[in-house]
Amino acid sequence: MVYYVTDLLLLGCINSIMVVGLNLQYGYTGLLNFAYYTYVAIGAYVAAVTTMGRTAMLGGGTYILGWTLPWYVGLLIGGVVAAILGAVVFGFTVRRLRSDYLAIVTVSAAFIFWNIINTYEPLFNGATGLYNVPNIISTSTARYTLVMLALSAGILAVCVWASRRIFRSPFGRLLRSMREDEAVTSAFGRTSWQPQLWIFMIGCFIAGIAGGLFVFSITAWSPYAFLPLESFILLAALIVGGAGNYWGALLGAFVLIEGLAELSRFLPSFGGGADVGAIRAIVIGVVLILMLRYRRGGLIPERWLHWYGQPTKQVLPKARFAAVRRAR
Amino acid sequence: MCGGSGAFTKRRIHHLLPLQLPKDSRGLILSQFLVAVGFGLATASVVALAAVAVSLQVSVTNFINFAYGDFMTFGAYIAWSATRHGINLVLAIILGGIATGLLGVLANILVFRPFMRQGVRPVTLLIAGVGLSFVVQNALTLIWGAEPVRFNVTLGNSLHVGPFILTPGDLAMFATSVVLLVMLHLMLAYTKFGKALRATSNNADLAKACGIDSERVVSITWFLAGLLTAVAGVGLVLQESTLDPTTGFTELFVIFGAVILGGIGRPYGAMLGALAIGLLTEISGAYLNAAYKTSIAFGVVIVLLLFRPQGLFATKGKIS
Repeated sequence: MVYYVTDLLLLGCINSIMVVGLNLQYGYTGLLNFAYYTYVAIGAYVAAVTTMGRTAMLGGGTYILGWTLPWYVGLLIGGVVAAILGAVVFGFTVRRLRSDYLAIVTVSAAFIFWNIINTYEPLFNGATGLYNVPNIISTSTARYTLVMLALSAGILAVCVWASRRIFRSPFGRLLRSMREDEAVTSAFGRTSWQPQLWIFMIGCFIAGIAGGLFVFSITAWSPYAFLPLESFILLAALIVGGAGNYWGALLGAFVLIEGLAELSRFLPSFGGGADVGAIRAIVIGVVLILMLRYRRGGLIPERWLHWYGQPTKQVLPKARFAAVRRAR
Repeated sequence: MCGGSGAFTKRRIHHLLPLQLPKDSRGLILSQFLVAVGFGLATASVVALAAVAVSLQVSVTNFINFAYGDFMTFGAYIAWSATRHGINLVLAIILGGIATGLLGVLANILVFRPFMRQGVRPVTLLIAGVGLSFVVQNALTLIWGAEPVRFNVTLGNSLHVGPFILTPGDLAMFATSVVLLVMLHLMLAYTKFGKALRATSNNADLAKACGIDSERVVSITWFLAGLLTAVAGVGLVLQESTLDPTTGFTELFVIFGAVILGGIGRPYGAMLGALAIGLLTEISGAYLNAAYKTSIAFGVVIVLLLFRPQGLFATKGKIS
């Protein structure tokens, strides 16, 4: 039971890190990145191959590097590689495209990456993937989950703290204003793609770190564990929880991903395992549509800091009402 | 259709000569190439239907529906389950088409129209489409299971039609596709509804001001698009020989490729785009690892959106 809870919390923490990273891109900046899980996969792969030796896998297998670096270096390299890949993709796509075309391009890119990873054996070992990724310390399995939980929770705390700092900084304000109205922002002389590039890279870095944590806790890596579809689920979690708010991101990750996964475990099973997954996805889809329809801000909407005052839409009718009253 | 490709053929083969086959086999390479062209035409006839459907809907509603692939799967499943109950294939396809058309209308009424009335950003509609795709795809899994199924019909033995190797099923699909597209063209060009549709697509407000019931136009467009999509779905399944709940979703981006190639929201462009995508994927599939076939279509999508987002054959106006 204790093992079950720690395992659950561990996955919850890792998913939360991913959603917090996605929140930086979509919530703060409005960049719709459907290839997010690709960065998680890349980070995981790099973290694995930089820490495992050449002979870790029994059947051999072909993968690059095979350095036996300490885990924290591997984790960092994974994050950095994901961030660099993010910067490259950003350079090609985000600067040129409007939101919905950006979405199509990122999904297509995610599928291409996945297809290459799954098909091209010399680099990624094809569909087999990697196994026997070394544990970060050697203890019993139950103890190891606990260690990973502590590590992930720590990193999650750092990520939340960082996104709080970004939200309240001038940098965060600039990103939000660019998201709301690029023309107005440029009228204030602040048009530049650099802030968006930075936040995109930070988001991808966090994705890579989360991927590294994931691969260290399950000690295996396969293309089928990183399907492009997962990006949609992360995005759904973010929107339901509340885009633009890190508490919303945390809530979404725990409620929509973990909560649903665990609740469906207690459902009376009718049919097979595929059915439970399907019901879960249907619930996610329905909740996503309903949230968009009736509560677009999510469960915990983005906070308007006090110096913003209220959004103009709510102020205008009141002012008009006052004017009418005065006229009478 | 192949008239303009002579120069292309020569260049392509010259380029490929040292790569693949033993020397002194120019004839062999040419025939291999033409076979790939035949497959390309067969693929194109399926993709064209779906791409025209997507383009038609986008031209009227101005947003991209991510659930289209799943509509395709839905139509194919309805037709499949009808054939299992002993209904013949043509009737089954019509049944699937009508069911998918109704699904489209329902999706419009329940999901998209409320958003359109709120006047939300296109991104929101897109994400709602993703949610709808989740629902449809997994509802199909719940009803018919995740295991791949097969139609109880075969396309017949391969025939040598001119230089191409095609099955009678491919030919039938090609003919169906051409007939449907010509019918669509006649409808768009000569009927009152076609006129109303074109007006709505060009300027919805102006159309409304002229007394066109634009919501009715939108509903009928969803129905028509669903109909075409379902036929395309069955064609796709007959070509690929298996059907599972993710079939359409993976094909979706190939279709987007055709739509974008022809210019988003331009049904006639989408036909040409489908032709190009079909030929491109099949010909490259003949020379590269076939697993990369769809990746090539996706690559086309990316490159086009980056460098020529208005499509290859850009003209003014959406349906002109």
